[in-house]
Amino acid sequence: MDSQLVEARALEAEITALRRACVEPPAPGEDTSRVRKSFRETYQADSEGWELSKDLRSHLGHLESEIQFLSTLTGISIRHYSKKTEDLTSTEMTEKSIKKVLQRHRLSGNCHMITFQLEFQLLEIQNEESLSSVITDLSIIMEPTEYSELSEFVSRAEERRDLFMFFRSLHFFVEWCEYRKRTFKRFKEKYPEAVHLSEGASSSCMGIRNPSRPGFELVIVWRIQIDEEGKVLPKLDLLTKVPLQALELDKNGVIETAPLSFRTLLGVLGIEATLESLIKSLHTEASN
Amino acid sequence: MELANTLSQDGESRGGVLAHLERLETQVSRSRKKMEEPQSAQAEESALGTRIHELRRLRDKLRAEVKQHQASVKASTTNVEPDQTLEITEQESLKRKWENVKAILQAYRFTGISGKLTSRGVCVCISTAFEGNLLDSYFVDLVMRKPLQIHHHSIPVFIPLEEISAKYLQTNIQHFLFTLCEYLNAYSGRKYQADRLQSDFEAFLAGPLQRNSLCNLLSFTYKAEPEGQSFPFCARLLYKDLTTTLPTDVTVTYQGTDALSTTQEEQRAAHENLFFTKPLHQVFTSFARKGDKLDMSLVS
Repeated sequence: MDSQLVEARALEAEITALRRACVEPPAPGEDTSRVRKSFRETYQADSEGWELSKDLRSHLGHLESEIQFLSTLTGISIRHYSKKTEDLTSTEMTEKSIKKVLQRHRLSGNCHMITFQLEFQLLEIQNEESLSSVITDLSIIMEPTEYSELSEFVSRAEERRDLFMFFRSLHFFVEWCEYRKRTFKRFKEKYPEAVHLSEGASSSCMGIRNPSRPGFELVIVWRIQIDEEGKVLPKLDLLTKVPLQALELDKNGVIETAPLSFRTLLGVLGIEATLESLIKSLHTEASN
Repeated sequence: MELANTLSQDGESRGGVLAHLERLETQVSRSRKKMEEPQSAQAEESALGTRIHELRRLRDKLRAEVKQHQASVKASTTNVEPDQTLEITEQESLKRKWENVKAILQAYRFTGISGKLTSRGVCVCISTAFEGNLLDSYFVDLVMRKPLQIHHHSIPVFIPLEEISAKYLQTNIQHFLFTLCEYLNAYSGRKYQADRLQSDFEAFLAGPLQRNSLCNLLSFTYKAEPEGQSFPFCARLLYKDLTTTLPTDVTVTYQGTDALSTTQEEQRAAHENLFFTKPLHQVFTSFARKGDKLDMSLVS
């Protein structure tokens, strides 16, 4: 039975505590009170108090696993949460059986490398037919602020008091950032001499050069943007750095149209294949 | 970091979540097994009973040792009165922890995605809102199995759940949930706008609001001034992108047979633009406000 398992665990915990109490060397003051405390604890086993903490401990363990699971499921870790409730029901409202309550919530946690702190107010009005809950104020603080794309998005979310959009877009933004980081890292590892990441793996730019042909460089700028509706979209652009002589020889204007061709290629091959083909083209061209 | 693994593309998210579910399932099934299989339960029970017996003996032995230890300590030191007000008993700290943990679990609903563990797996609850108004919630009951399955759900039939789950459920649960979130929130928002138009601005409508269940095709005839001399316009809003709450196609046409004057044409074009950029009920709120302004000018 469940209660037996719980009892077994409680006994194990008690034994550990008792063992610790035995091992500790006798010293004045603190240690005696500690010993006395564990002594008290051990005798609590026979009183009602012990029953309560037995249940609490097992229930606590279960709840903690639920939180860990939710954190894995959503990718969002909530570390602190507090709430204050203020009853705004006037006597007039009570007569009409309307209840008005203002809740102030404070929430903080992180989604991967981005930590957030939220404060929002929720106004709940309950009348006989329905309950309406409205977020009347929202303030968001985020770190790190090096992702400049996020500050505009944050003010928009605050303006709209759109809490869910905030978390949704945050999730997709982080997902894209991680994907960009992984992709850049992979190319850097595969073509260490050709690929150049100016700010390390978290940079938004990837440079492609060929050491045997200095002066030529292709720079891929991969930005992650959040639009008005909270949609997260990658935006890739190609910048070319080419010596003047080469430009003069380029009769067909290949370099001029490169950025446009890049966009087309993206649409056809997708991001990774496009980047890889660019790296290979610069590589093989130079070796000819 | 553990969390980082969930975002890799080759099914590791599934591994992370599934592995976790598996661990929990074994925990739960261990305690449930006894109820389902009485024979092996009895054997397990007696094994457990023996263990408890042994533990009790060990505990009693240790208690005696501690008592001795304490007696020798007492003899060698001066009496120190424990400050009971400073000590937090184990029970109190446990209770505090429990309350904190319970609060955090509740807080998850504010992310839009929350869930409860079930015997099968997990029941995920997706909340929706529009302009700060909390709207309907929907649930998806997932069965932890390979492949992951949806046991049952309350997602409306016109939301492309099968399409979304075919794309993401097996490979990236987070993406599956947040995409579903997108669709449901957009639907909730469109529905809210249509409902508000019908309830708050009935006076402006010259006929019933025609809408489909997905609320992505709306058709209505309206007057910008309910009692004024403005002409009725016919509006048709299409929301091709099911993840947005603003229309992708808007056509405002004139109902009557006469040609439109320049001002009327300007009005028509302006209205079209308004429907593109503002939520539906807000467009009508601005019509109502303009109407108020006109009244004011008549008075003064």
